[in-house]
Amino acid sequence: MATSTLIPAELPSEPELQSFASAAAQLLIERQPRLPGSRTVSRRAGVGLQHFDHRDYAPGDEVRHIDWRQTARRRQPIVRRFESESVADWTLLLDASSSMAVQGAAKWQSAVRIAAAMSYALLQLGHRVGVMAFGARVLAECPRGRGQHHYAAIARLLRSLQPTRSGERSELGVCAPHLHGATTVFTLSDFLASDEMRRDLGAMVQRCAALHVMQVSDAAETRLRQVGDLDLVDVETSARMPAHVGEGTGVQAAVERAAMTARLRSFCARSGVAFTDWDIATPWQQTLLRHLVQARSNC
Amino acid sequence: MLTLVTPAWLFGLLLLPVIRWLHRGGQHRRAVPVSSLALWRGSVASTPAAGERRPPDPAWRRRALVTALIFLALAEPRLSVDRSRVTLWVDDSLSMQTREGQGTRLVEGLARARQLTSDAGFAEVEVRSLGDPWRSLGALGETTVADLSASAGNREPTPPPAALLRADALHWLLTDGADAALFDWPGGRRPDRVIVVASTLRNAGLERISARRDPSDPGRIDLLVKLTNGGVEVETREVVITTDSGEVARSTHRIETKASALVNASIPASARVAVRLEPGDALAADDAIDLDLAPLRRRRVAIDSKCPAPLVAAVAAHPALRLAAENATDVEAVLDCGSRGPAANTSATLRVLADRFPTRLPGPLKWSPTVAESRRILLDDEPWLSAARIDARPEDVVLLAAGDEPLILSRAGNAKLLETSLDLGSMGASRSADLPLLVNLMFERVLGVELLDSIAMLDRGSASVMVAPAHSPNAAPGAVPGSSAVSSSNESRPRVSPMSRDGAWPLLAIALLLLVWEIVALGRQWIRLNRNAGSVVE
Repeated sequence: MATSTLIPAELPSEPELQSFASAAAQLLIERQPRLPGSRTVSRRAGVGLQHFDHRDYAPGDEVRHIDWRQTARRRQPIVRRFESESVADWTLLLDASSSMAVQGAAKWQSAVRIAAAMSYALLQLGHRVGVMAFGARVLAECPRGRGQHHYAAIARLLRSLQPTRSGERSELGVCAPHLHGATTVFTLSDFLASDEMRRDLGAMVQRCAALHVMQVSDAAETRLRQVGDLDLVDVETSARMPAHVGEGTGVQAAVERAAMTARLRSFCARSGVAFTDWDIATPWQQTLLRHLVQARSNC
Repeated sequence: MLTLVTPAWLFGLLLLPVIRWLHRGGQHRRAVPVSSLALWRGSVASTPAAGERRPPDPAWRRRALVTALIFLALAEPRLSVDRSRVTLWVDDSLSMQTREGQGTRLVEGLARARQLTSDAGFAEVEVRSLGDPWRSLGALGETTVADLSASAGNREPTPPPAALLRADALHWLLTDGADAALFDWPGGRRPDRVIVVASTLRNAGLERISARRDPSDPGRIDLLVKLTNGGVEVETREVVITTDSGEVARSTHRIETKASALVNASIPASARVAVRLEPGDALAADDAIDLDLAPLRRRRVAIDSKCPAPLVAAVAAHPALRLAAENATDVEAVLDCGSRGPAANTSATLRVLADRFPTRLPGPLKWSPTVAESRRILLDDEPWLSAARIDARPEDVVLLAAGDEPLILSRAGNAKLLETSLDLGSMGASRSADLPLLVNLMFERVLGVELLDSIAMLDRGSASVMVAPAHSPNAAPGAVPGSSAVSSSNESRPRVSPMSRDGAWPLLAIALLLLVWEIVALGRQWIRLNRNAGSVVE
């Protein structure tokens, strides 16, 4: 009887973190102070004093940022957005649903490494970073904080987290009420849910300063070792589906997976969300740097 | 040809459709956890449409087969065997001499066996008796019948040894069933066919007779006769005892079924005694018994006139010895005290040497290891004196010595000669209570027989008088129902159990193997289900 216990996530080593942080520093700086006359960084919405633009009010927005004049003019609540300062708030959303635990929880282990590296690099640059693990509800949260000591708290949380083997659904929308203020959200998930969580992502876009989406995928989850007549059990919903698994079944599953990814990618492109599909066979440093480069170029 | 002993068990096969119905739910599918069913939509299996029957779990075939095999085994199938060689094992106990119709059981049974083997066309029939199983009596011919009839009852029959139960031959058993032990073949083997010859069910016989000398009167013999009823009804018999001088005793006894009666009698000493039962019955061989009483006779000993009086008195008092004149010739032993020369000693002789003045023994008395511990006499050193010096040759056997000096010595040679240097006429020896015992020891040694407490006995064994079948062929190995061994008294023809092989055990063995297979399959399924339930994630 297999009573396999999930192995606690192994975080990147300190040299790996430092190496990545130095490589990603230029990509994560919101507005780098430069010599007079050379401040050419692009303007982005964020936490700051300089007015940036207006947008519709969304639940969770701070009331003090409502522009009453514009609200009266447009007859709907309008909030002011401010230009981001050199440091910003980041929230990492980590999918801890049961689908992240299949295949020896390889996807979970990879996502945790990404989250740790991202947190480390952001904290190095002085940003405030918070981490939230979600399933059908918010399973764990490390409030936003600053400094290297905060990385220790995040690392502690990441090490202690383990996805439930079965029965934990993916509900990204549950994180929205926990997002306060203008924060950049970095979401790590396999997005194996109905409509690839696009509805939740749409709501999330309205509530954050910027949204990053990294889809974690594992090619092994489209290959089954068993063949023949099987009862496939969805680890999140426990729904059963009789299936006949043969030689070409894995290819069909991979095609289906690619279609889901394409739909998600298309949605993110339309919504101005930085999106990356990460096969965990690819080194995480390479994937993350490529994502940041792509996100910066889109801005 | 296949036959079933209890075909009613075949009704159990009606359970097979029930087993099929119980497995109608279809095959148990293995549950495999996946991250999302959406990925596997392309491989979804079609679910049965409404009203459409799902195929049953294939395991029903294995389980139905186990059930069918068990019920078939319970029906006890028997297979007829076809082999051309037959070994006929003949019960040659005394009870087979019981008269049945025209002849004895043995003759009738052998005739029946011959007819059966002839009808079946067996090319080779070998006859062996259970009394002497290692000797082949050859084919089933007239000579064999005569030999068996002559030797019946001489030896106690036993089941055939395993080494002779060859697999390439059929083994038939001819018996009257009176001795149940004859069905207990080695290794659980069974006779392929049992021919039971037992229609006479009444018999009383003489099982044992024993005789011993009357300790108070050497001229009389005490007799003990054991009379046994081996039939199924109470019998009354008159026991008549005769000796060489005619009938000496007669008594009537009533014996219950399977019981025995002991008859005591005191008869005058005689060379023989005969006991018979009146009236006789179908088994005449056990109605009379003769016993040779020669071993109990008193042996004549020629006494030398020079022998001291205490020694002569000890011989005269011996219950198994009788004094004879010095020059008598028809004696079995001689007591020589110096009158006879060495050449005259052609018969067993006890020679008492005395060529010097008696002296004290040079050392303590010591028996030789050749004298058994139980035969040794505890002699006091004090009363005994030595009256001669015996020169022992290397081949002689010293029985008693005092220090290094032999006192009683057995000379090597054809004639049994015992010499002693003990002064058996001394005052001390004559007063000693050990002198008669010492004389008995020396004459037993000289004659080579035990003189005291000898018993003459003839024992036929308890099974020899049993004529009623004690073992039912229904329960006997190799027999089949319908051929009861307890036959009516009117039935004179022997009955035959069909030859067959038990087919139940192979079926049970196959069922057992399938059962093990089923248990292993269920175990694997249980492990798989638990693995899936315990950890949905691999």
